[in-house]
Amino acid sequence: MNQTRHPPLRILIAALGGEGGGTLMNWILAAARATGRKAQSTSVPGVAQRTGSTSYYLEIVDSKSTAVPVLSLVPLPARVDVVVASELVEAARCLAAGFVSPKLTTLVASTSRVYSTAEKIALGDGRYGAENIRNAAEKLAKNHFLLDLDQLAIDNNTYISATLFGALSGSGVLPWADDISRAAMGQGAYAEASRRGFDAAADAVKALRMNAVAKAAEVADRVQTAPPNQPEIADLETLPKDLRTVLSHGLDRVIDFQDKAYGQIYMNHVGTLLAVLDFDDHRAVSAVTEGARRLALWMAYEDVARVADLKTRPERFARIRDEAQVQPGQILWVTEYLKPRVEEIADILPEAFGRWILQRVKRGGKLPFLGRGIQLNSNGILGFRLLRLVASLRHIRRRSLRFKAEQVAIVGWLQVLEKALKRDVGFASGLAELPRLLKGYSETQQRGKAAYGKIIDGIVTPALKDRSESAAAPILRQAISAALADEDHKKLDQLLAGEAERSAVVGRPGRHADVHQST
Amino acid sequence: MMNSITATGWLEAAPLEISFTKEIEKLELGDGEIFYGEGILAVTKALLQSGVSYVGGYQGSPISHLIDVMVQAAPQMKKLGVHVEACTNEASAAAMLGASVMYPVRGAVTWKSIVGTNVAADALSNLASPGVLGGTLIVIGEDFGEGSSVIQERSHAYALKSTLWLMDPRANLPSIVKLVETAFQLSEASNTPVMMALRIRACHVQGSFVAKDNVAPEISMVNLLSEPAPHEYERLAHPPVTFGHERIKSSERMPAARKFVRDHQLNEFFAGRRHPDVGLIVQGGLYNALLRGLLELGLADEEGGCDLPILVLNVVYPLVPDDILDFVRDKRAVLVLEEGQPEYMENEIGTILRRAGSDVVLAGKDILPMAGEYSSEVMVQGVGGFLRAHLPRVGNRLGDKTYEQEIADLRKQAAALLDKPVPPRPPSFCTGCPERPFFAALKLTEKEIGKVHYSADIGCHSFATFAPFNFGNSILGYGMSLASNASVVSFQKKRPIAVMGDGGFWHNGLLSGVTSRLLNGGDGILVIMKNGYTSATGTQEVISSPDVQLKRLSAEKSATHGETTIEDALTGVGVKWLRTVNTYGVAKMQDTLKEAFQTSFNGLKVIVAEGECQLERQRRIKPIRAKALAASQRVERVRFGIDEDTCTGDHSCIRLSGCPTLTVKAASDPLKTDPVAHVTNGCVGCGLCGEIAHAATLCPSFWRAQVIFNPTWWDRLQARIVGTLTGLKQL
Repeated sequence: MNQTRHPPLRILIAALGGEGGGTLMNWILAAARATGRKAQSTSVPGVAQRTGSTSYYLEIVDSKSTAVPVLSLVPLPARVDVVVASELVEAARCLAAGFVSPKLTTLVASTSRVYSTAEKIALGDGRYGAENIRNAAEKLAKNHFLLDLDQLAIDNNTYISATLFGALSGSGVLPWADDISRAAMGQGAYAEASRRGFDAAADAVKALRMNAVAKAAEVADRVQTAPPNQPEIADLETLPKDLRTVLSHGLDRVIDFQDKAYGQIYMNHVGTLLAVLDFDDHRAVSAVTEGARRLALWMAYEDVARVADLKTRPERFARIRDEAQVQPGQILWVTEYLKPRVEEIADILPEAFGRWILQRVKRGGKLPFLGRGIQLNSNGILGFRLLRLVASLRHIRRRSLRFKAEQVAIVGWLQVLEKALKRDVGFASGLAELPRLLKGYSETQQRGKAAYGKIIDGIVTPALKDRSESAAAPILRQAISAALADEDHKKLDQLLAGEAERSAVVGRPGRHADVHQST
Repeated sequence: MMNSITATGWLEAAPLEISFTKEIEKLELGDGEIFYGEGILAVTKALLQSGVSYVGGYQGSPISHLIDVMVQAAPQMKKLGVHVEACTNEASAAAMLGASVMYPVRGAVTWKSIVGTNVAADALSNLASPGVLGGTLIVIGEDFGEGSSVIQERSHAYALKSTLWLMDPRANLPSIVKLVETAFQLSEASNTPVMMALRIRACHVQGSFVAKDNVAPEISMVNLLSEPAPHEYERLAHPPVTFGHERIKSSERMPAARKFVRDHQLNEFFAGRRHPDVGLIVQGGLYNALLRGLLELGLADEEGGCDLPILVLNVVYPLVPDDILDFVRDKRAVLVLEEGQPEYMENEIGTILRRAGSDVVLAGKDILPMAGEYSSEVMVQGVGGFLRAHLPRVGNRLGDKTYEQEIADLRKQAAALLDKPVPPRPPSFCTGCPERPFFAALKLTEKEIGKVHYSADIGCHSFATFAPFNFGNSILGYGMSLASNASVVSFQKKRPIAVMGDGGFWHNGLLSGVTSRLLNGGDGILVIMKNGYTSATGTQEVISSPDVQLKRLSAEKSATHGETTIEDALTGVGVKWLRTVNTYGVAKMQDTLKEAFQTSFNGLKVIVAEGECQLERQRRIKPIRAKALAASQRVERVRFGIDEDTCTGDHSCIRLSGCPTLTVKAASDPLKTDPVAHVTNGCVGCGLCGEIAHAATLCPSFWRAQVIFNPTWWDRLQARIVGTLTGLKQL
């Protein structure tokens, strides 16, 4: 408001506790003092240092006067010149609090994510929308520089405080040369690594400033995470691209799980859906695409043979070496934590034998090794051989208890999905997603199965029976989210109870008017 | 590698709290040298410049540094003759000031307020009654408002009820340092202890001041007194002389204090450049934020020049009537900016004005909010409202409403663009924290036996009140968890459980909780987190901290394992059911918990959940490993990971752990839409992931990688043979 007077340079740093925000603050302070400026900074560490959100605030004055400036210890919304965020959602927090102003604020933020507990504990996907943050940054900041400063730090063998400082310096908002900032990072081996990170980030941001190189880099990022090359499938070439992609991945998955014959079954199953698909209706196409995705995952369910097979593949050990950053000349031993319950063992055995075991255990009988955690060295001789032995059970899988049960359930689902596709696309797309609930192992798996069953019985079957699919479509969607809302299915049960009540009321003649009013 | 780069957690936090070598150097600066550093360290330096004979306190944000630095600087302090005491609670710290009752020695103690002042209250009353001979200063870290971890109450109330003086200095280092030095003189001039409140941001403010030489105290641990003070009954806080003390407080000490404050101009008057007929009265600690607000309104500049007259109260109790009356003379209205409730100062100023027959309009909490932090944003609105009412020609042209609107619009726009509220990110257990496995075990136990009443406490374990654990029916204070369910236990079918840390146990829990329960023969379950330190405040030592010998012997293992002070104390007071369980053994902890809930033994059951603070442990391990690696010795590193192929994205594991390094990532499998669980390279291999995978029968996706650096010939041979037989070549 008071533009004629020159307020101090105001910098707000948003970071996670223990991430080096304090180091960054001290570097900026040292650089400012080295130029003869008066500077003040403060922070609220407290227990927030334990990975919680925290912030640091600096004010820097370029004053010729000898008077002692009165600098603030607290940032004022919409009156911050620079917001530096070490993590994307922390940038969002500053945006939401009104610290980023289109008139004033340069936003320098790392696009890296450290997911919050709230995002991580979701039963499905609880991640906060990154695109919205980027969009808000573009709209609300005067200038914005968004780039993965965490990766840049890793690439340069340093910490994010260094790349944040480089990005800040590269953004051009600091009223001194890069070299002064670089000097403020001190001496020694750590400082050298810091300076490398600083330079890399400063250059990256300068490149962003030059033009839209940013856009190109981001696009490149996205391309990298896109699925790998698709094998061409001649007779499927006419299908829409997304569907084709899912089908080819799905087919690979199913063949990898069992054999080519099983792959043929997958294609036959998909064929029944394609037969009733109206290719001009894009919603129907996405429903079938989703159905094909879920079908593949379902058909390639995780039994002990599958798990043992996946755990003993050479490429898996290569991946672990890579993830654990094992260097040449170092030795890696991998331990597995397995605790198969009797159900999992029965699942892979021939149907009759499996049932017999389950009954025996139900009656109180015991089986060796079960119910106890086993630690196996999967790249040791014994562990590897044992796992390979378990993996070889895939040869008897077709006769196994679970295989048969899953095929029946899959066919049941395909039948209703096929029917739904003919009647209501919205309902069909919900139904196509429904097997998303069938995941995990042991308790998780049972929970998913229970939810799936409840939804089939409580919503899908009645809707198909009464031909009320279009009315049931939004409820089916809600039910899927409700099933993923909590572990005890409280939300789902509530929803289903409400549904049962509603249909009971609807079913009663003479009450329709009331119901319509209240809905 | 242990010190490999990671985006999260303690690896980078670690160096923050270890060594204070640089800080200690700053304490030794002499006349004319410039001190650069943070507020609380400036206070520490000012204490030495004031010639204190002793310093003590109990840790807590934001004043932990004062104690930490002093304790680490013990050799330097000893040279100067300053006795440093890390007290076991605030009552102990306050009682330490008793030295200044009978001897002309200066002393200072510190703690976190309001909570610490509550604990210290008994000693404070007994100190305030006889008063002091030597200057006495209590530095209280006001953890008020944003970032706070305590209840929001005013320490001001203690000053009022005990007749202690309260300073609230302007938050810049020269002001703080000057006031620390003056506080001792004020204390001596009025025989009254002085409290100095420093808000959290003032404690952490980085600034500078011109240092002076440290002053060696005349009576000290190097200049010993040969005789004790004589017996003077008048100086005991014991009737009947306490009645006399009560009178002296108001008849002698208060006038002396007011005279000192006025004579030394401890409160600062800034004449306004323009509007002499209105004025602002503000607590010193709010001055900078107020000025920034006025700058925003176009009424001030960044060098402190201001259109409105301002009276800055660096001493907020006692108020000096003459200071107030001088300020309001020729004014039509004044606005008091006073943070916190109730408005003690505003009420007193009202009384001063009324008694003097002044007709100046007094505004304050009628315009400003009663509760909450007084940020610049809040004060801008308050000053705007005040000026519109009392200086309309200025007030009506102010931009405060425009500014308010601008921010409201900005926030609205951001909310619309972001679509969903930003997820909260409260602090949580560190990577590899030994407390997390306990809560996983308790969560699993509850799945079997149902929910139980949980009495929470203060400390790192209070993070278990957040997701993913969500434990806790009450928090009643530090070390109070067991005491807080003494009655609950009487009407609950299932036994309630109380959890406290070793910090809380020694601070209060042993007496308030354990001995009280034993005296009454009560039932109940107490879990003591034996991690070896008061970790939440910066890993200060407690009486049961592992000693150097234990730490050396345990090397990379938990050093609290062989330490039995807690168990010995519990046995000593008569606890009959006592189990010590290492927290990383989740299944064993589950069994122990179940036994405690179900046993027919009806007395107090104590589970000591043992596991050394991972921060401290890693600080010990890192140098050991670095040294071994430098010498090309064999070193093992363990970390956990997850097979993406078999992870189905349900995240049950995360709901049982909450470890910062156990997170999610987009599935690289194009068929999977939900993110999969993922362990980052910050993992310290504590073992919890494997334990819960077993204990909860979670899923087979976890793997444990044991990486051998500088393998021996035997390692190599083994790897070769195994590689040949399995086809998985390693070397």
